[in-house]
Amino acid sequence: MPWKPPQRAGATVLIWAGYSLAERERRWTAARVNAAKAGFDCIFVPLGNGVDGRYLTQLRCSSMVLPTDGREPIVIADRSSRNDWVPEPWQTSREWAEPMSEALLDAGMERARIGVVGLKGGKATHVSATDGVVNHTAFSEVMRRLPNAAFEDATDVVGSVRYIKSEEEISFIKQAVAIAEAGIDEMVKLARPGLDGALFYAAVTERMLELRTEYYPLAVSVDSITVRKPTRYMNPPIGKRLESDTLITNEVNAISGAQLIQECQPIVLGRIPDQWKPVIELQKEVFEAGLEFMKPGTLFGDFIDFANRFGEKRGMKTSVFMHGCGYGDDGPSLGPGSKGERIRDLRMEKGNAWVWKPIAMTADERIQFVWGGSVLVTDRGGEVLFKRSHGMISIT
Amino acid sequence: MESPADSVWRGYSLAERDWRWQAVRASAAKAGLDCIFVPLCVDGRNLHLSLEQARGTRSDCRFLTEMNNAAVIVPTDGRKPFVISDQETGNEWVTDFRPVEGSWGRTMAQALLDCGMERARIGVSGLRRGRFTHGRAIAGVINHSSYAEVLRRLPNANFEDATDVLGYARYIKSEEQIVCLRRGAAIAAAGIEKMIELARPGVDEGVLYTRVMRRMLELGSGYYPMALYTGPHGEGRLPRFEDPPINRRLQPMYRIANEVDALWGGLIAQEQQPILLGPIPDPWKPVIELQRDVYLAGLEFMKPGRLFSEFMDFVNDFGAKRGMKTLILMHGRGYGDDGPLFTPQDRGERNRDVQMERGNVFICKPIAYSADGSFEMSWGGCVLVTEKGGEPLVRRNPGMVSIT
Repeated sequence: MPWKPPQRAGATVLIWAGYSLAERERRWTAARVNAAKAGFDCIFVPLGNGVDGRYLTQLRCSSMVLPTDGREPIVIADRSSRNDWVPEPWQTSREWAEPMSEALLDAGMERARIGVVGLKGGKATHVSATDGVVNHTAFSEVMRRLPNAAFEDATDVVGSVRYIKSEEEISFIKQAVAIAEAGIDEMVKLARPGLDGALFYAAVTERMLELRTEYYPLAVSVDSITVRKPTRYMNPPIGKRLESDTLITNEVNAISGAQLIQECQPIVLGRIPDQWKPVIELQKEVFEAGLEFMKPGTLFGDFIDFANRFGEKRGMKTSVFMHGCGYGDDGPSLGPGSKGERIRDLRMEKGNAWVWKPIAMTADERIQFVWGGSVLVTDRGGEVLFKRSHGMISIT
Repeated sequence: MESPADSVWRGYSLAERDWRWQAVRASAAKAGLDCIFVPLCVDGRNLHLSLEQARGTRSDCRFLTEMNNAAVIVPTDGRKPFVISDQETGNEWVTDFRPVEGSWGRTMAQALLDCGMERARIGVSGLRRGRFTHGRAIAGVINHSSYAEVLRRLPNANFEDATDVLGYARYIKSEEQIVCLRRGAAIAAAGIEKMIELARPGVDEGVLYTRVMRRMLELGSGYYPMALYTGPHGEGRLPRFEDPPINRRLQPMYRIANEVDALWGGLIAQEQQPILLGPIPDPWKPVIELQRDVYLAGLEFMKPGRLFSEFMDFVNDFGAKRGMKTLILMHGRGYGDDGPLFTPQDRGERNRDVQMERGNVFICKPIAYSADGSFEMSWGGCVLVTEKGGEPLVRRNPGMVSIT
């Protein structure tokens, strides 16, 4: 091995790495097959693409060269980290360009066609990162060191593997959903007029952490139900107390087995205003109709049109709102800021898991209601993975 | 401490914004640059070499705009900065900005052209590690595809690394920033008090972790993962956890080390407190005393105008006269990955000619080692550099806490 490991390293950070070796083989084999199909000699996960690195290695921070021809990958890790999946990675400290270049050369990729994962946003992963996630200076140095290699985007090569969840992954998604629901239960238990917003936020976060979610920010709003565009907090609100007409909207995120999921449960302090009731009812219908529509083979173009037109017959509006569950920034991502034009031809597949939370609103869009959570695509349609009943919770 | 609901703090003032922008302009002008350019940086979840580095990846944009994700062009000639962002709304500092159209690369390039930078000397912050900021990110923090597009669209401009140009503006804290760091340090100290209250043999380490985090969140801190190290002494390096540990319970004579960080106003304060679940062994006591002495002597030494070379040598030589060893461990405090950085892995030789300045805030936590190296201890917290020397931002007593 030409790369010389550093003399000193920071303390090893222990993270959860509990997937089986069979799961590793599934992921690596699927990535190799996709890469071969796309004509790549290898898949390269460079510095910057930490999420795909974790998906393929279970390491906190890593880079990987995965040859398509079936050879073992070369993995680079830091802080002396290793695990069952990757018992002997190349070790580095803060220098990544040099070992990444050496790994590619060592794997015989000097004149190869190299698929770079995370160079651009994909259809199923890195969906909000239109320009990808790759670190510039390190990657430029790699390209300089391999002037005869061709580097091309291969985000979807790994993305399409991440898109379909295995049984192991689904079991952790279900665990994460249970944690998020416990967080919602804590909200319902505590939410009363006069409570300091920061205390509320802290208690819910603690509840989920003690159930061993990995940390992911809880998003809440705690404004009056009459406020049209409430402030969204991803840290404890400062200067806020819950009031007698507070509407708590939330995105309760939890991570188990590295799988990030989300549950959304609006809570109002006081009675639900009458003018909200038809909107809530419409949201229930579009949510449930969406589940039925959600079958393997369905094209997203059809699904988007279905959800977006659903409210018209009631003289109201509905809008598709969803994103994938997984290691982070999973697609498809559809919502007010992302209409999904580039994924209209993407098919739903058995084993997809996503957060389904369509928006229902009055015709003038003054009242908007979002409720939902994690859903698994099965042959029978979408299967909800949570236990809550539909609706807005009223605390009187 | 007032409760967060009753806090009157509502964010940084416009005067603070203008102070920052002006400091960056002045620094850029001195370097002969036409503008400072903070391009799109990789997010901290993906570029995650350490907690500090991950928090620091988009720190320049937060420093300049108080937005979580933005690219910024600060012309040196005094014009208002150009901001590009994919966020839905701006804030009081940046009420209008250019949305990302299609790709960040194209949008940033067009903004530079619209700013008249087609043939300019453009200082890029975050291209490489700096001495004042991004010290852990040797390869910088910039997103490749968008930056490569900018280079392609401005072939006649001259792009060069200016991490230290912006970094220097972040190095010296304003009064408003010091107020925030002081509050953060007080919150971190409250987290440590909670840890001391709860840490007992038999306690689930995950529960200990979550209670401490809750205490700090209740006081209004933004979430910043605590680094927790636990285990028996003498069995190698303690493992580090940045999420609640799973299936671990504290045991008698366990050592607990930590980095307890709190966020207020987006700035990271840190306090550190070693704990032993048992009586402190006699052989450790001179080391603990040495650590206290080097910390306190370091405070006296920490005056504006001092070079880090002097400070490093002072700290690193301090233990020898007692037949032991001491080593500098410190770095800046601020929006994330603040320098200069001195750790056992990264001894900081490159920072020898950096000067301490009034208004610097560091986490200062020197390490003392026994003569045979079998025991080491670090204790410390946030320190502000003043004319009279280093002033701890929260009063705590150096030493190891023994819980018996």
